[in-house]
Amino acid sequence: MANDMFPPRRAARLELGRRGFLVSMCAAGAVFGFPRRAQATMNPESPDGLPLDAAGAKYEPTLWYWIDSTGKVNVNIIRAEMGQHVGTSIARILADELGANWDDVHIDHVDSDPKWGTMVTGGSWSVWQSWPVYRQAGAAGRIALAEKAASLWGIDASRITVENGIVSGGGKTASFGELVTQGVTRVFTAAELQALPLKPHADLTLLGKALPALDIRTKTTGQAIYGIDSKVDGMVHAAPILPPTRYGCTVTGIDDSAAKGVKGYQQTLKIDDPSGTVPGWAMVIADSHWAAQKAAKLVKVSYDIKGNAQQIGEADIQAENKRLIDDPKTGALLDTGDTDVDPVFAKATDTIEAEYTTQTVLHFQMEPLNALAFQNQDGIWEIHTGNQWQSLCLPWLQTALGVGAGKVIMRTYLLGGGFGRRLNGDYAVPVALASKALGGKPVKMVMMRPDDVQFDSVRPPTMSRLRMAFDAGKQVIAMDTAVASGWPTKVMVPSFMPKGVNGEHYDPFASDGADHWYDVGAQRARAISNELAEATFRPGWLRSVSPGWINFAVESFMDEAARHVGQDPLQFRLDHFTAQGRNAGAAPNAVGGAARQAAVLKRVAEISGYGERGLPADTAIGIATTYGQARSMPTWVGGAVQVHVDRTTGHVDVQKVWLVVDCGTVVDPDGARAQVEGGAMWGVSMALYEGTQFKGGRVIDSNLDTYTPMRMVDAPEMTIEMVESTEAPTGLGEPGTTVMAPALANAIFAAVGVRMRHLPMTPQAILDALKATPA
Amino acid sequence: MIEFTINGRKVSLDVAPDTPLLWVIRDEIGLTGTKFGCGVGMCGACTVHVGGHPTRGCITPVQDVAGAEIITIEGLDPNGDHPVQVAWRELQVPQCGYCQSGQIMTAAAMLRDIPNPTDEDIDAVMTGNLCRCMTYNRIRAAVRQAAAAMRGAVTNG
Amino acid sequence: MLKSTLSALAAAAVIVIGGFGIYAWHSSLPAMSPAERPSFDAATVEQGRLIAAAGYCAACHTAPGGAPYAGNYPMVTSFGTIYASNITPDPETGIGEWSPEAFRRAMHEGVDREGRNLFPAFPYDHFTKMSDADVDAVYAYIMTDIPPVKEITKQPSIPFPLNIRFLQSGWKLLFVHFGRYEPDPSQSAAWNRGAYLVEGVAHCGACHTPRNALGAEEKSKQYAGAVVDNWTAPPLANANPSAVPWSAAEFTAYLKAGSDPYHGVASGPMAEVVAGFRQLPDSDIAAIGTYLGSASGATGSNPAQIPAVVASINAGKPDPAYRQNPGEQLYASACASCHYNASPDSLEPERPDLGIISATRLDDPSNLIHTILDGVPASQGVHGVTMPAFRTALDNSQIAAIAAYLRTTQAGLPPWQNLEASVQSVRERAGTN
Repeated sequence: MANDMFPPRRAARLELGRRGFLVSMCAAGAVFGFPRRAQATMNPESPDGLPLDAAGAKYEPTLWYWIDSTGKVNVNIIRAEMGQHVGTSIARILADELGANWDDVHIDHVDSDPKWGTMVTGGSWSVWQSWPVYRQAGAAGRIALAEKAASLWGIDASRITVENGIVSGGGKTASFGELVTQGVTRVFTAAELQALPLKPHADLTLLGKALPALDIRTKTTGQAIYGIDSKVDGMVHAAPILPPTRYGCTVTGIDDSAAKGVKGYQQTLKIDDPSGTVPGWAMVIADSHWAAQKAAKLVKVSYDIKGNAQQIGEADIQAENKRLIDDPKTGALLDTGDTDVDPVFAKATDTIEAEYTTQTVLHFQMEPLNALAFQNQDGIWEIHTGNQWQSLCLPWLQTALGVGAGKVIMRTYLLGGGFGRRLNGDYAVPVALASKALGGKPVKMVMMRPDDVQFDSVRPPTMSRLRMAFDAGKQVIAMDTAVASGWPTKVMVPSFMPKGVNGEHYDPFASDGADHWYDVGAQRARAISNELAEATFRPGWLRSVSPGWINFAVESFMDEAARHVGQDPLQFRLDHFTAQGRNAGAAPNAVGGAARQAAVLKRVAEISGYGERGLPADTAIGIATTYGQARSMPTWVGGAVQVHVDRTTGHVDVQKVWLVVDCGTVVDPDGARAQVEGGAMWGVSMALYEGTQFKGGRVIDSNLDTYTPMRMVDAPEMTIEMVESTEAPTGLGEPGTTVMAPALANAIFAAVGVRMRHLPMTPQAILDALKATPA
Repeated sequence: MIEFTINGRKVSLDVAPDTPLLWVIRDEIGLTGTKFGCGVGMCGACTVHVGGHPTRGCITPVQDVAGAEIITIEGLDPNGDHPVQVAWRELQVPQCGYCQSGQIMTAAAMLRDIPNPTDEDIDAVMTGNLCRCMTYNRIRAAVRQAAAAMRGAVTNG
Repeated sequence: MLKSTLSALAAAAVIVIGGFGIYAWHSSLPAMSPAERPSFDAATVEQGRLIAAAGYCAACHTAPGGAPYAGNYPMVTSFGTIYASNITPDPETGIGEWSPEAFRRAMHEGVDREGRNLFPAFPYDHFTKMSDADVDAVYAYIMTDIPPVKEITKQPSIPFPLNIRFLQSGWKLLFVHFGRYEPDPSQSAAWNRGAYLVEGVAHCGACHTPRNALGAEEKSKQYAGAVVDNWTAPPLANANPSAVPWSAAEFTAYLKAGSDPYHGVASGPMAEVVAGFRQLPDSDIAAIGTYLGSASGATGSNPAQIPAVVASINAGKPDPAYRQNPGEQLYASACASCHYNASPDSLEPERPDLGIISATRLDDPSNLIHTILDGVPASQGVHGVTMPAFRTALDNSQIAAIAAYLRTTQAGLPPWQNLEASVQSVRERAGTN
């Protein structure tokens, strides 16, 4: 029944399936007599995505969940599900504190609503941010149920235990459901929630337990519902015609005469966007997706193009990175303690310098960008799509549509890959505008892959220049880092940019990684925005953001510096993890500071056999260590990789990878390993197999024929160790990525003596380097 | 009119003959378990079975399957309990899950032809299915586990 | 002396030309109305249906999307385009007024009811070998089971003077040995049955034997292979470059199933042949196999031990350095999941190994290019199984790269030249499936 796989044919189709069905029924005013419901959530466990209904009485200790008369615990999740099984992790946190029976726990991913506060899924923040909130919520329920039982049984609440869905005390027991049926009314103020006593770590029983993720089953049966699967009765299909450049284009003419012969073609809309998110767009409207795509190929659009983006290529952007770094007056200075490095360098006995660059990288999430938009019968604009930052794009949508707050709602779907692309919800704006142009009619846009690639918010081309100063005793006395790239946050959320110590704002997602935990004496970290990049395209947040590329620089450089002064790269690093002063770390998120980083590095060296002899020729192990995404919530990662380099072909055989990760408390052990592994694979892929280039203001690749991310045959064997810890949980979505590029670069150097300073490290680049390096 | 059988039921459709099978399945028939990833036959997200064999629907014109029998992920097993699907759940293979319909369909067909695959065999066949979450090692392990289950062997995992 | 020689020569010329004229002239046979037509019993009609299937008459006599046997299928030859005749029983535009004798004369001599020569695009040079009984049975089948259709056959676009039907007689004189099939007593009944079918109604040589400048089959190169409709009809004799030799058993299996694990699938123009043969009893297919197997001279062998087969399987193993060869990178992403075979012992017909099959081993890459461009529909090849079409997914350089990779790395043969140009050439000819 749930698996009746065959809906009736389109012509006779009444059943629309899934969310669209209910949405349209609601929009049509309950034509078939279904009760009007605020269908404001998506349940990834159920085949049609429909949320569970509370049975009988319901108790909501906080807005984060309810318990019903059957003891069901339904947890509200504001985070997007994109493979990290975030709903299960968060529900587990709450259920553990609450004392629920895990079998009774379900989740709902909520649609956008101001009551939920900020809705964002990224930065590896979800578990870290949710930890206190959902623990408090769980505690609230536990306390309310205990108090209810206590009052019913006439005993003191301190004698009540709440465990596994059962409340007991004084020889009596009751299930959650029984108590809720009796009526529980306890409410908690925000202050009360904050002050609730939480269980000691040792009493948490669900944490660290192997529990299947609630979203997985439907992902194995084809029943999981992604944005691309959304449907609403009466929808038309839209194919975008992208302008030649991301910015600066205005449509001056549309000639659809050739498209008129395509069966199903309706019209082509010129999209005017008051929010400025999607200048120069046209949308081809048709009865079906395929007809829209066919017609779009035949529509001719002419543009007026302002600016010179069409003359800009990868080399121009890198040249600008270099010019900016060369200019000492540019950039924001991060707070790295003693930033006065110039006099130290001036009197140093010896200095080294190196420059590291990375090529443009595509998100290439498997589900291409898509959205469905319409105005419902209450006059509310509904946007149906997978998205990682509803709070960010809702104001854009409001401005675009010319409506105020509360007039746009984003309906939640699973994401077929986020990786940061869907943090930037620009793709929803043109669909909303197309719908508006058609009087609020439902319009669904699915991008074909070349359009998705062209419209990507890429990881921009980056440059990092690192310098180190040594005294006569070869001790490190100063380090100077300058990093330049396009800044996504500056373009999209400038209010998110903190101020550096020199009063200039900086993008943390373009500078994290530079303020490492090594003790290097005077330390300056300068982050510079490349406005040429920002004018040419829309830089994006891409899995691991700046820690991904800045650590390629920092951790390659630490190897280079060590060798420069004749030290072993492992010992050199450990020596500089003094964990003193600002690197000592602090509660709650960075307890132990650099000492924890040293620990994971040591451990990964141990388990990988780093430094031991006995590997065949041209084979070596390289190491690297990072602190994950941000100093404010570090995830300590030690990585090692063993490679063999083929000197005749330049091919790098990635034989084995080891990772040791200290993320504090591990909430979901299986999911944690999956995220570390996936993140690390991304790191290998970006280091060796991925990299596109800008040319004429656009990236040169358009599909998998020439853009070649990691495939199964490339995937190395991985050994992952999660450090046992009771510290606050930090993030896991991205940290695994951050160590791989430098570990690979260090391994390649150890194997065949060439230092690669550019990503991707292609076989040709390695061959060229081998040729240029004296034997 | 183009006629074929899908998940055991006959359909008769008035669609342009050059419409890719994938869009007919998703939009005309309404089965959305089969996904679109690249449109050029290189990611495998659109894999269905035609005559029992893995076929990339994004570049198969629907007229080419006239008279054929098609199985999609929804029809692989009435309860979603094909040994490949079971192994996928036991090893918690899917992350975002978007590519997994195609992975499962490719794996299920492969195991019929190659019931005792080596890792090399698995790599050769499954490398054509892209997974951007890169759960490749788990996919490989799950294929081995499903193969063992289908051969009736007891597996040590 | 000169004068008498000249007059003797002139007289001889008159006699020869006159003789040729007498030879070349055919009478018009009287029209026969449907009422006058003889009646046919069900067994004869059925026999005719099978023979028509063996000759896959409908393939040439039906236009794409047209009514069966109503003609106007265009045959593009180096002499121009010829349109197949309407051979439905329509009295005005078809053969509805033809008597059995007229039909027999057309099949055996290549002359229509009004006495005009038929162009040898109609392979009467093969049909002349058919027995009277078989030809009569086909007549019975057409007159009984095929609905009459009004469709005027288009004029051919053959230039003067080749289009003068009278002069076709000269062609016949030079190139055709008329007469019924004569069994070879030194061969088995099955062999003779196979020969009768192959040389006669199935007219395999019409595609598989190369033709001379005047368009006649070159008898000295029988079954040496030829280009047809921008595909290559491979050699059937021992010139065939397949990794696994075409024994009688191989031929029989391939023609019956439309596919063979060691040679590939019957698609393109061959699909119609197999569709026709599918109607025949197993004994006839086996007979054809026997005959062709003797022509190729191959004996059965264990394919799993043939070095080229083993080499191809090994070359198909996953290669971590696949990105370094663009063709290999594309192959690993788009093709391997369906075409990979784990071992030479377990080759599946639905997983054609691309280093072994004919398409990759012929001198002409056209067949492979066709298949990559337009795939194989479920109605061709392995019935019910389809291969997708990469026409819009890959450009010419990419198809060329894949073809080059398969040719050199998997098939281990010398590279094809000018592949990209070949791809463009095949791509331009639309819809030749």
